[in-house]
Amino acid sequence: MIFDVIERSLRQPNRVIPVESLLGNCDGGRMPEVIAARLTPPIAQKLVEVCPTAAFRIEKHDRQLSLSLSYGECIGCGRCFEPSEGAVVAAKSIPCCGHAKAQLVRDWDLGSRAEITSLDPAPEIVCGQIHSLMGKALNIRQLDAGSCNGCEAEIMALTNPYYDLERFGIHFVASPKHADMLLVTGPVTRNMADAVRATYEAVPARKLVVAVGACGCSGGIFAGSYAIVGAVDALIPVDGYIPGCPPTPAMLVTGILGVLRRCTAN
Amino acid sequence: MKGEDTDSGVLRMGENDSTPVAFTRPLTKNDTPARLVTIFGSLGRNGKKLVHYVFDVADPAYLETILTVGGSIRSISPEVPAAAWYERELHDQYGIEIAGHPDLRPLIFHENWPDGVYPMVDSVEGVPWSSREYHFMQVQGKGIAEVSVGPVHAGIIEPGHFRFSVIGDTVLHLELRHFYTHKGTEKLFEGTLLNAGTMVAESVSGDNCFAHAVAYSQAVENACRADVPPRASAIRLIGLEFERLVCHISDVGGMCTDVGFTVGAASAVSIKESLLQTSSKCCGTRYWRGVAVPGGLRFSLDAAKVLEFSQAVSLAARQFSDLASVILKTPSIQNRFETSGILRRDAARELATVGPIARASGINLDVRRDHPYGHYDRVRFEVPVTHYGDVMARARIRVEEAATSARLIQETADALPSGSVLVPLELLGELHGSSAVESPRGELYYWLEGQEGRVTRCHIKSPSFQNWPAMPFAVEDNIIADFPLINKSFNLSYSGCDR
Repeated sequence: MIFDVIERSLRQPNRVIPVESLLGNCDGGRMPEVIAARLTPPIAQKLVEVCPTAAFRIEKHDRQLSLSLSYGECIGCGRCFEPSEGAVVAAKSIPCCGHAKAQLVRDWDLGSRAEITSLDPAPEIVCGQIHSLMGKALNIRQLDAGSCNGCEAEIMALTNPYYDLERFGIHFVASPKHADMLLVTGPVTRNMADAVRATYEAVPARKLVVAVGACGCSGGIFAGSYAIVGAVDALIPVDGYIPGCPPTPAMLVTGILGVLRRCTAN
Repeated sequence: MKGEDTDSGVLRMGENDSTPVAFTRPLTKNDTPARLVTIFGSLGRNGKKLVHYVFDVADPAYLETILTVGGSIRSISPEVPAAAWYERELHDQYGIEIAGHPDLRPLIFHENWPDGVYPMVDSVEGVPWSSREYHFMQVQGKGIAEVSVGPVHAGIIEPGHFRFSVIGDTVLHLELRHFYTHKGTEKLFEGTLLNAGTMVAESVSGDNCFAHAVAYSQAVENACRADVPPRASAIRLIGLEFERLVCHISDVGGMCTDVGFTVGAASAVSIKESLLQTSSKCCGTRYWRGVAVPGGLRFSLDAAKVLEFSQAVSLAARQFSDLASVILKTPSIQNRFETSGILRRDAARELATVGPIARASGINLDVRRDHPYGHYDRVRFEVPVTHYGDVMARARIRVEEAATSARLIQETADALPSGSVLVPLELLGELHGSSAVESPRGELYYWLEGQEGRVTRCHIKSPSFQNWPAMPFAVEDNIIADFPLINKSFNLSYSGCDR
């Protein structure tokens, strides 16, 4: 019987997706991409109206109107695609996974239709550099602060034979005491607030905290509920943000490596 | 069916008292006691509190009776144990006194929530932090130890607390304490645009997001008495069965993980991942988020994509059935799965369990067959039932259902109706509707009330809320080391339960 199992295991093809195909890729993540050339003030107004989480905003500086898009607030509902007349499409890549919160926001000038703040390009890390980024290994403790389990499902996928996070020396551990990084999902609920604080305290210094998903970054669709304390950074210091609802495994890999790159650069 | 008068309902008023005294359990047409579906509160037009009791009377339509609350209400939990959590939730949300309830400790609120604040009737602006006390049940006797686990568990799992009373390795009693992920979702629905509520519904339980979106959409459609175009119904069926297929494959893989059978686990998650990648390619979403809306679907799938999708499903289903036959024949798996975590049929029935858990314990129940919706009255399928009630039974039910799901996807994709996938809905005025869907975890029921295009009340009966109280009965008398396996074999959603 056991030989059937071993034989079966040997017959399995290698499924690992090369890291180059993962970094920056947000296929299936339903994140919006703004085509600046097609942007007009009436379209921008419509985008603001349809967005359920106010990820799109119109701002005014010196009589100049600009449109901002905060990926940390976007739940990927796709309602901005239809009324945009082609100005918003599903993104193939978003360049801001794992960055500081302010860098999850992009702005376009509605007069000149140019992007105001441009972001760092997607982290171009090749496999060899990854190991040097992290020394030998990174231990991650995942913490659900109240999520809907969508983010958990995608984080679980990181351990499957396609994404195989262990190839980078990244390992999920059972105790916060063994962890270098806390990967926190969900809006922090009132009922989880104490446990989130205690888990954070239990991680030895120097620790990294990454807020995952629209809820972790901004509260997402649950922002403002009586049962929610807020986003993860309302309770504990956060070093990086991974947007998405839920972020795809590729976005998670990009985000985790992005945070590491920033933190090792500092 | 709807009874609005208190005297025609399940609870009858006594004389000279505002508390109902007598309870009559509705019967099915075969004269067996009806199954409780849900109990929830709402506010009437005059601000009066109403309590809704929904029963399954073995008729395609559910029986809903509404009681206008005078002072307190009489608990039906002594006669219907399945009502216990619903009545506690009603007390927490609406502050309705429930006379004769055996355990009225707060359910959805923890120590931090102040006494006397009821979110469905009171203002929830700036609710102060409190430090109430909570007492776990104490099991006393020589040699009994308590093991407390959670809310944060050792893995990529949702939070919840388990309090075991053990003697040696054997679990005498398990008390659950959940609602750590309570997000006030039912309150959050209030004021949401009716045609945008799917976004909230999709975030109730992320891995069953499509079932939630369809159940919510159907409730709106039933309220407007609108029919969804046939192509949209058929694609919804494909999505619902796809979600079930993915969940069942994932659950069987998870059960392998929990007994250290890594070959089975890694193969199962690979099959699951291949399905999610196909979905991402064909539909632009891995978990079918943002697809269903009231009135149909946000976009259609062209013939080429449907073909690619159904071919990938059929390949994955073949791989899974091949894998499952190896898994279930492996002696070490049989040794751990068989006779572990038996949920007896009477306990499953008393607690009105639903879904694969109920079917593995001998309860023949499936919303798709018993209360058909959408495209389900056009397809034929068998509902697998087994009476063993152990971990193996729950694994077998999932394996069989996965095969059925794949076949239903094939058949529906092969004969996909043409036409549009969205009808405009007339959402103004006062609307009431409800709808049930067989989600991968079982019966999911949405009850909805709307006014002028906005939701005024939305109640979600999630299968996990119903099934969690049954789980401790399966754990008793097992060794504590088998708990993760038994828990995985139930695979209940914490967020879906806590909402």
